[in-house]
Amino acid sequence: MNEPADDADGIRAAVREHLLSDVLVGEDPENLTDDLPLRTSGVIDSMGVIRLTGFLEARFSIRIEAHETGVENTDTVDAIVSFVESKLAG
Amino acid sequence: MELTEDIIRLQREVEAFARERLGGSGVERDREGVFWRDGWTACGEAGILGIPVPTACGGRGAGLLATIVAMETLGRNVDDLGLLFALNAHLWAGVIPIVRFGSETQRRRWLPTLLDGRSVAGHGATEPDAGSDVFSMTTSARRDGEDWILDGTKSFVANGPVADVLIVYATTDPALGEAGIASFLVPRETPGLSCSPPLDKAGLRSAPSGTVSMEGCRIPADGLLAKPGDGAACFNCSMEWERGAILAMHVGRMEKQLDDAIRFARERRQFGRPIGAFQSVANRIVDMKIRIETSRPLVHRIGRLKDEGRQAMMEAAIAKLHVSEAAVQSSLDAVQIMGSRGYLREGLVERDLRDALGARIYSGTNEMQRVLVARLLGLPSSLPARGPGDRPA
Repeated sequence: MNEPADDADGIRAAVREHLLSDVLVGEDPENLTDDLPLRTSGVIDSMGVIRLTGFLEARFSIRIEAHETGVENTDTVDAIVSFVESKLAG
Repeated sequence: MELTEDIIRLQREVEAFARERLGGSGVERDREGVFWRDGWTACGEAGILGIPVPTACGGRGAGLLATIVAMETLGRNVDDLGLLFALNAHLWAGVIPIVRFGSETQRRRWLPTLLDGRSVAGHGATEPDAGSDVFSMTTSARRDGEDWILDGTKSFVANGPVADVLIVYATTDPALGEAGIASFLVPRETPGLSCSPPLDKAGLRSAPSGTVSMEGCRIPADGLLAKPGDGAACFNCSMEWERGAILAMHVGRMEKQLDDAIRFARERRQFGRPIGAFQSVANRIVDMKIRIETSRPLVHRIGRLKDEGRQAMMEAAIAKLHVSEAAVQSSLDAVQIMGSRGYLREGLVERDLRDALGARIYSGTNEMQRVLVARLLGLPSSLPARGPGDRPA
């Protein structure tokens, strides 16, 4: 299967797939809305963020610094997508 | 993998410095629990504190692998591991968070004196009821106009009794859990801040740790290091670097123990021959050598990964776990090989054992390192899972 493109839709699909398979195992995908608070509601803790950033680094060939992994960039699917887009834009 | 010429040159420089400026057993400092201020100042003057710091921030820009090799060299050549522990706490829990999370203003204010040895940084994360579960901290930070007001108690604050500035973690909203954590730069002279005398520890006795109390400590806006929501990332960043590098001194120490054990086993004669001729002694020495050879690549790997800008959280946890256990076992072996001499304070290896025991606890207990590795391998958390339906209203 081809990997999704690195545009916003492709990034969103990859992020959703990672979250549903790594953190929200067995969860109805429809419950993972793009604005669902992930960090501030405790769905993902800091170890989950490290796994998420490791996935994003490998999938999109980007380098993510520690100071970029706060709530601002990782609290929702929307925020994660915007963050990855900004990294890809260089 | 081979070390670069630059790192080998640094290694020689640090070895020469240690022999010239950091000699002596430090037995009295260990007995009395006294911080080696002159040794600290010498390290600052020699540029030891600037090795991992980018040149743009006033450091030597040599990277983490170079720093790890330097710490290894110090561990081999300096008997006062308490001083080396204090240096590491200062670097990884104080300096690096300022480098990675600090503003230009904060870097300009704090880094010059933290790098040249005039100032000491302390680390306030652990609390009486928040140790391994560090993000359950109750030290609070609330806004008052532009300022922040800190209230709470931090325990086992590394360098606390001698620190000029403390990196303090606090919750800005307990309902947010770790997403509500922020970190602050708290000057020692802040009204409302007090620190206990050094705690009476079993080992690393010349590295002063204390209990810091904050009652209505007013911190101006420019004292906020990691904003609310970034505090956990700041803490994990410092622990990733610390776990990688702080154990390097124990690798160096294990080498020193090995050299001493071999010398002793060749010179000490019983039953008409050197005790090293007996397999029960020789096998211990072989195991000491194996521990060094399995430990060094683990810590060097972290240096290489971080120097490439890559994550090393799992590798750091593995190294911390392995090297600290190796250091304890090799210290036990060294004591046993030297017999009654190893049991005396003047023999130094009993102090190595007390110092090594701390390594299984500081920077996160070894039990917690296993939890981290399990989580980073993708195993489920032991904490109750929270799904989309569990979010607070």
